[in-house]
Amino acid sequence: MRDRKPVYAAVLGILLIVVFTLPAGISLWGKGVLRGIVSPLQRGISGVGQHVGEAVAAVRGLGGMVEKNRELSAELVHMQAELNTFKNLDEENRRLRRMLDFHRQEPRQMIPCEVMSRNISGWWNTVRIGKGARHGIQWNRAVISPDGLVGKTLEVSHRTSEVILISDPACRVSARILRVNAFGVVSGHGANASGHPVVRMDFINKDAEVRAGDEVVTSGLGGVFPTGIHIGYVQKVERDESGLYQSAQIIPRATAGLLDYVFVISEPEDNPTGGGAR
Amino acid sequence: MSRVAMFPLMVMGTVVQSLLPVWPLLGSVKPPVLPALVLFYSLKGSPRLMWAAAIWAALLQDGIDAGPIGPALIAFPIIGNLAYRVRNEVFPEQLVTQFIFGALGHMLVTLVFLLVFTATGARPLAFSFGALRMLGAFLSGMVTLPVVFFIMHRFEESLPQRRAVVWQ
Repeated sequence: MRDRKPVYAAVLGILLIVVFTLPAGISLWGKGVLRGIVSPLQRGISGVGQHVGEAVAAVRGLGGMVEKNRELSAELVHMQAELNTFKNLDEENRRLRRMLDFHRQEPRQMIPCEVMSRNISGWWNTVRIGKGARHGIQWNRAVISPDGLVGKTLEVSHRTSEVILISDPACRVSARILRVNAFGVVSGHGANASGHPVVRMDFINKDAEVRAGDEVVTSGLGGVFPTGIHIGYVQKVERDESGLYQSAQIIPRATAGLLDYVFVISEPEDNPTGGGAR
Repeated sequence: MSRVAMFPLMVMGTVVQSLLPVWPLLGSVKPPVLPALVLFYSLKGSPRLMWAAAIWAALLQDGIDAGPIGPALIAFPIIGNLAYRVRNEVFPEQLVTQFIFGALGHMLVTLVFLLVFTATGARPLAFSFGALRMLGAFLSGMVTLPVVFFIMHRFEESLPQRRAVVWQ
């Protein structure tokens, strides 16, 4: 039998050259196809995971009840299990109502999206949402939740979109500290040892009297993020090494670990022609 | 070893890997399910299966991941080929072999990703973060490959086996 190793190596070489020189549009189309294959399964497993979580929560409550009241009848246990289920449903209902209220109150046009999964490799701080170009989502649009700014859309395929979170170093947001009206740039620094997102605000005017607890919002400069979206609170203020600026550690309020649903702002506020689809 | 089953298994592996949590203490690495599947097919399958597994897994990982397509397309065939070349010198069924292959394989994948991301400027990388990530890759690879091997063995055993034709 002929040795086919050189053939395989040549095929791989050509594939690599093709892949590295692909135009962005074709690369994104290919990614969209692959994501289309995986996303129904991802969505299904996420749904099953949610149901399993609810069932475990119900059983936990049920276990405690049984330990305390061994003599109680099976009917009572059954009722307790049902009550736990209702509690979970009630909690979910309240959460969804909060989202709905937020959606109604918000003057901007927003597209509600379900968070499907996290990044596959751990190299990027991203989440995948279950809506894409066919639902009106465009590249480089702000993504928010009732708690505040989540990030922006990075890659939009037909049915899904990749959202880069504010904890990612590639996500930079022009921000403002409300109390002192000081501007700066917020950027992500990954996550700390306990998994909480680390966010910093740099290039703050050195004369501004920034204090821990000050609220940080988007400034609206740059055209991607609308004005006044809550980002988080100042945790610690540091002087820049050069002495020209101040930096601040920010605690972002929209904690990525708690996200179920997010909203994509469909049009940028100050720059209706900016951005563009990718 | 089933070629037909490999493709849905890879898709399943992709979904599992994306749903598994990261390890923030170890540079936010994820359990490397797809590299482990590539190593499994390299250590147990034919060369054709090894190449198919490496390329299919790489396309899935790069396609699903944010950022440029390419790092996994370089890394996965490298680890697949290296494992295939030395597989006759080792005992793939032994747990120690799986620990070593898993750890070194994922470290190599992480190193390639680091180099590609640094070269393309896709990620701002610090030495401390890179070192932490390499350590995380070592440990997560060591843990993941034996688990994937065990599951894949069970799965392969559960498949109907093709019988050899015997003339009576």
